[in-house]
Amino acid sequence: MIGNDIVCLAKAATESNWRRKGYLERIFTPSEQQLILQHEDPSLMLWLIWTMKESAYKIINRETGIRSFAPMCLVCSIQEVNTCNASGLINYQGKDIISRSTISSCYVHSIAARTELHLNAIKLNYAESHAGYQNQFNNSQFSYHLTKNLVGVPQLQHQLTGNFHPVSISHHGTLLAIAYSDSPL
Amino acid sequence: MDKQEFINQLKEIVTPYTEDHEALQNIDENTDFIKDLKINSANLVDIVLDLEERFGIEIDNDSMSKMLDVKSTMAIIEEKLKSGDR
Repeated sequence: MIGNDIVCLAKAATESNWRRKGYLERIFTPSEQQLILQHEDPSLMLWLIWTMKESAYKIINRETGIRSFAPMCLVCSIQEVNTCNASGLINYQGKDIISRSTISSCYVHSIAARTELHLNAIKLNYAESHAGYQNQFNNSQFSYHLTKNLVGVPQLQHQLTGNFHPVSISHHGTLLAIAYSDSPL
Repeated sequence: MDKQEFINQLKEIVTPYTEDHEALQNIDENTDFIKDLKINSANLVDIVLDLEERFGIEIDNDSMSKMLDVKSTMAIIEEKLKSGDR
């Protein structure tokens, strides 16, 4: 399983007022709050940790089939961070999920997997978010076919082998990121 | 609590967090905040905080984890209001 999450920083700035009383405490653990508040760009660190949590949630949701909104249960630690990249761990119920993130002036994007091997196998396709992205993806290459199942979960099938491959889709504002893996499920 | 009255109040609360005004017009107890109203999950916290203010209750993290749709949100608010009466 893999997960990914993208946040458009301009949209997030208008959509969310994280300085609102009680907000940080509902999403971030005390040590995550410390990372955010001590960072020179608190909003950036906040959305970095948020995308880590969301991408890890997508893995857990696929594994368990359970939907829930419990960001405090996804405990993040940052291993390395510089102006354009970050790597980290998300601990959920005692088990780690590994993440890697890309940071730009427009967006923060994180990908996550259970193992380094799975994380390294992730391929990314960035596009503009619009209703026809599925067709656009399918027309852009010949190996895979992207669909959604009855409950709206994306599915990626290899055209030749028929195997299903891990896929995760995230969009925010005008940004869309499709993460998928060449190693089958 | 009257169901329709609650849905009206909830509709008011979620309005700033959705861009899908058509879906908002059709809100009922089966409406899902994320799937139907396309609300960003980062704004689910705002809805929880707004509900706490509106109803003068405290919503714990365990309850928050279930508040993904109108029906479960209504059940949790009802439960909190009842336990506050005692």
